[in-house]
Amino acid sequence: MLEFYYFHLMPWPHLPADFDRAYASSWVTLPNRFYDPKRGHRLYNEYLDELEEAEKLGFDGLGVNEHHQSAYGTMPSPNLMAAALARRTTRSKIAILGNAIALREHPLRVAEEIAMLDVLSGGRIISGFVRGIGCEYLSLGVNPTASRERFYEAHDLIVRSWTHEGPFCFEGKHYRVRYANIWPRPLQRPHPPIWLPSQGSPETIQFAVRHRYPFVTVFTSYAHTKRLLEEYKAEAERAGYRAPPEQLGLALPTYVAETDARARRESKDHFLWLFRRGLKIPPQFLVPPGYLSEESLLRFLAAELRPPSELSFEELEREGYILFGSPNTVRDRLTEIVKDLGIGLFIGGARIGDMPHEKARKSTALFAREVMPHFRPKRPVAAKAGPRENRKGSA
Amino acid sequence: MAHRSDFLRVRGVRTHIMQSGRGRPLLVLHPEFGADLWSPYHDQLASRFRVIAPDHPGFGKSERPEWLDEIDDLVFHYLDLLDLLEIERVSVVGTSLGGWIAAAFAVAHPERLDRLILAAPAGIKVDGIERYDVFANSIEETLQHLFCDETRVAQIVPAEYGPDVVVRAYREFTTLARLAWNPYLYDRKLQQRLPRVNAPTLIVWGQNDTFLPPEHGEALAALLPYGTLKVLPECGHLVPLEQSATFSRLVIDFLSA
Repeated sequence: MLEFYYFHLMPWPHLPADFDRAYASSWVTLPNRFYDPKRGHRLYNEYLDELEEAEKLGFDGLGVNEHHQSAYGTMPSPNLMAAALARRTTRSKIAILGNAIALREHPLRVAEEIAMLDVLSGGRIISGFVRGIGCEYLSLGVNPTASRERFYEAHDLIVRSWTHEGPFCFEGKHYRVRYANIWPRPLQRPHPPIWLPSQGSPETIQFAVRHRYPFVTVFTSYAHTKRLLEEYKAEAERAGYRAPPEQLGLALPTYVAETDARARRESKDHFLWLFRRGLKIPPQFLVPPGYLSEESLLRFLAAELRPPSELSFEELEREGYILFGSPNTVRDRLTEIVKDLGIGLFIGGARIGDMPHEKARKSTALFAREVMPHFRPKRPVAAKAGPRENRKGSA
Repeated sequence: MAHRSDFLRVRGVRTHIMQSGRGRPLLVLHPEFGADLWSPYHDQLASRFRVIAPDHPGFGKSERPEWLDEIDDLVFHYLDLLDLLEIERVSVVGTSLGGWIAAAFAVAHPERLDRLILAAPAGIKVDGIERYDVFANSIEETLQHLFCDETRVAQIVPAEYGPDVVVRAYREFTTLARLAWNPYLYDRKLQQRLPRVNAPTLIVWGQNDTFLPPEHGEALAALLPYGTLKVLPECGHLVPLEQSATFSRLVIDFLSA
C-alpha cells in the first residue's frame, strides 16, 4: 500500500529575464522587487485550488512546506496554507513538510499552531519538522552553528507540550519557558504524526530511527535516496526493528502526459526551472558554517555530488532526480521504485517550477486516475467516512 | 628566525602556541584568516620581544571546546594562558578577530595589560558604513577583500586543496560564526565599554581596507581615551601581513616609547 501526497512548493515563476546571467541565486539576495503581490494573489489562489482539487482526485494527503525569502517557494508560513486547506477540504491529511523549528524564536508557537490546525481539521495534520536550509540562516539571522542543537531542543519542547499536562517548566540552552501549558491541545493522541523530510545527514537519520519518525528524502538523485533509505533501514535494524514502509518516503517531482514523448516535451523546461533556477544556490548559502557537522561535510565531499543546478535535463532524468512519462511508464517505474526502496509514502509535486496551471492540472488528473489506482488495494473504492463528522458548523 | 611550536593544555583546552624571541612578553592574536602561520612580522617583533602567538581555540591546530560561543570565552582563555605561562603583564597585538579579542581583554583585565596594538580590529560597528559579509560570499570573493595587493593572498592560501583543507577552513569559519554570526562581527557592549580602556593604544588601519573600512578606525580612536590611529597607504585589511615591515616598525616604536 502506497500513500500519495500532493506536494506544493508555491514557487514564484516570474524571474527576471536576465536571471541566469545576472543573479547568483533565487535565494537570500534576489531582490524582492521581483515579487508582484497582484500576480501573487492570483498564484496563491491557483495553488490552493490545485491542492483542493488533489483531494477530490483521491490523494491521501496534501503537502505544504516552509521556505523563506526565495522564489523557490513562497510559503514562509506553511501553517497559514494548512489553515486555508483545513477549512476547504474534509478528508485528506494535511502534511506540513515541515515547520523549520530551528529557525523559530519560540517553538511553542509551532506547538500551538499545529494543535490549532489539528483541532480545526479534525485530526488530519501531519507535522513535519525540518532545520530549514542553509540559505534561511542568512535570511533570518539565525546562527547556523546552533542549528542542530536548536532543532533537537525545539523538538523536545514541542512534543512535551503536546504530550504532558501543563504547566511545566522547560529550561534548555536555547529555549526557556517556565509555564509551558498550551491551549488548545492537539486532537490526535499522543500527538500528530511527526515526519522528517531531510537531505539525510547521519545525525538526522539516527534521530528519525530512534523516534520511529517517517523519513522522507527530498529532490535528490535516486542513488542518493537509495543510500539514505538503506542507512535508515540498517540503523533501524541496529535499534532492533524493521523499518516499515510507512516510515519510508520519497519526494520526487513527477509529470504525467498522454505519451512519453509528450511528457518529456511538456515538462522539460519546468523541471529545468526547478533545478537550475529554483535551486540555484551557491555553496556559501547552501552550507553556512556549522550547518553541517565535520562528519557530514566529509561525506558530502566524498560523495562528489554535483549541484543539481549544474545538471542537464538528461542527467536529471538518468540520475532519477525527476520522473515523467506516460501513465504506463510512470506506473511501471513507480512499481520498481516501491519494490526497490520499500517505501510506503510517495510525495509527488505536480506543479513544477514555472509550469502553468492547466498543464499541472492535466498531469495531476492523469496521475490520479491512471497511476494511483494501481497501488490501491483491489476493492471497490467507497467514499470514506472522513473527519467531517468531527466538524461543527461547516457548510 | 626559528620559532618553537608547542601544545599546552589551557584549563583543559589543547592549545597550539608558537613562540620566539626574548624580552618583554608580547601576545600576538591572529585574525580569522591565517592561524597556525608564522609570518615575517612575527620574526620582526621577535627580534625585540618575546612573541607568543597562539592559535585561538577552534582555529589552526587548537581544539574547539563545546562551550566556546562568545568573545568573552576567549578573553578568559587568554587570561588562563597568561597564568599558565606565569606572565603577570603583557602587551597585546591583535588583528581583525584577534583585535576584537584584544580589545575585550583590555576592557576586562586592565591590570594584566601593558599596551595595546589593534590592527583593523573587528568588534565595533559604525552606522552607515558597510562591512564586507564574509559569510554571504564565496571564499574566492573574500580573498579579494583582504589585501590591497591581491598577490599577497598567497601567504594565507594553502598550495594544494584537498578535503582536509576544506574541512579545516569550514571548522575555522564555524568557530568564527559561533562568535560573530549575529551580531555580525561586533559587540554592542564592547563599544559601550571601550572608553574604560586606560592602556595606551595604537590603532593601525589599511587605507584600502574593504573588509572593515577605515572609518571604523576613526570611530575606535574616538572611543579610546589613549588611542592613536595610524592609517597606512596601499594596505588592505590584513595589515601585518601586507605591510609587515612598516607595521612591525610602528609596533616596536610604540612599545619602546
